[in-house]
Amino acid sequence: MIVCVLLPRFELVVAAGGREALAQGPMALAPEPGRRQVVGEVSQAAEALGIHPGMRLGEALARAPRLALTPPDPVGVADAWERVLARLEAVGAAVESEQPGVACFEARGLGRLHGGSLDGVVQAVRGALRTPARIGAGPSRFCALAAATRARTRSAHVIAGAEGLASEPVALLRRRPGTAALPTALERLGIVTLGQLAALPRAAVADRFGPAGLEAHDLARGRDAPLRPRVPGELLEETLDLEESASGQQLERALGLLIDRLLARRERRGRTLRAAVLSAVLVEGGTWRERVVFREPLADPLRMRLALTSRLALLPAPAESLRLAAERLGPPAAPGRALFDDKRAQRALRLREAVGQARAAAGPDAALRVLAVDPDSRVPERRAVLTPFEGGEG
Amino acid sequence: MTPGARRLAVPRSAQVLAGRGGRPIDVDGHEVVAVRESWLIEDRWWTGTPLRRRYWEVVTIDGRDLVVFRDLEAGSWFRHR
Repeated sequence: MIVCVLLPRFELVVAAGGREALAQGPMALAPEPGRRQVVGEVSQAAEALGIHPGMRLGEALARAPRLALTPPDPVGVADAWERVLARLEAVGAAVESEQPGVACFEARGLGRLHGGSLDGVVQAVRGALRTPARIGAGPSRFCALAAATRARTRSAHVIAGAEGLASEPVALLRRRPGTAALPTALERLGIVTLGQLAALPRAAVADRFGPAGLEAHDLARGRDAPLRPRVPGELLEETLDLEESASGQQLERALGLLIDRLLARRERRGRTLRAAVLSAVLVEGGTWRERVVFREPLADPLRMRLALTSRLALLPAPAESLRLAAERLGPPAAPGRALFDDKRAQRALRLREAVGQARAAAGPDAALRVLAVDPDSRVPERRAVLTPFEGGEG
Repeated sequence: MTPGARRLAVPRSAQVLAGRGGRPIDVDGHEVVAVRESWLIEDRWWTGTPLRRRYWEVVTIDGRDLVVFRDLEAGSWFRHR
């Protein structure tokens, strides 16, 4: 049995600063700067006016001229959601989460830990979350999600399979990234419940809607891909407050500094980085977040800089602070051996070992270099900082 | 800047006696024999924490070349080197 924990309108609540703000009238998350001009999560009052997540901004404003648009806060949301996931993992759940506000886990292994029943697991989850949540359960992830949207009491709502899903609205498909665009088209065609969708011939659905249609058809029939729980990881991150709002070259230097500091962290223990999250607090208010998956696990600051610097161009405004977090760590870096004896390579190797030894003995500050952060600044102390030596563990 | 990063050339508090026009006469007990240059920096005036400094590059009697400034917001003296 899969359990789904749903915190409704999580992103909107975090961005608005609390659930109380949502009671003041129709509210929606504004589009992120530079992204598609569609609204994000919407409040209940906005939903009552026919506005739904993913609706074009113009259409949403036409339906509710007094719609309050809240600037998105992707960094705040990611931090808050990470705390929620950590609490779920603290009760033993192997959690999968495709988006903030929705987390699923397999309850089978947890039953013995928490009284042997689903209710015991639900109670443990509620106790750990310390925040109101809707909890549903079902044989698949989608059934559990549908059940969670139905849940109103303290006990979990259960949808046992395709029969239980039949009366649910197709709007539920908006909660899955792969099928989020389908409900509007389905509703126009008069297909309003998942039962109606499940009854359609599979080939006809594939013909009309392509792969997204096939996924929706599977979901409506109670079939879903198996859970892929995340590996509870360590949090490795470095933040730099930029005293002068930064953009361009200054931002690139700040990024270089963050990379050096992240790679010099002792907790990394020589491991590579598979994915990193670059985020910023913007001068104009709001935050920006970009996830970067490297083509291969990296521990080379130069290659990381190449991969990450291009993302800085996507920043919609100057930044007040920049943060780099290692999202997933890979195996320890194993530098390949040179084909020919190369004295430079040998010297670099010896230097790297020496730096590694010095750091192991005296901490990450044992080998530093001077990095020119803003060499043209008129204020002397803003020109250069000491940063971990980049030829270190790697 | 976060605590992990260490800035270079961070200003240190200095004992400075100033004469006419704010010209330093004595820095940390060393008499100033020459003023090489003076300049004004005004920055972040659009924020709640503006930065206003009058810099002086001076030579002391023992031959040292020092850069000191007066924080025009707080009124205190600092030196860079």
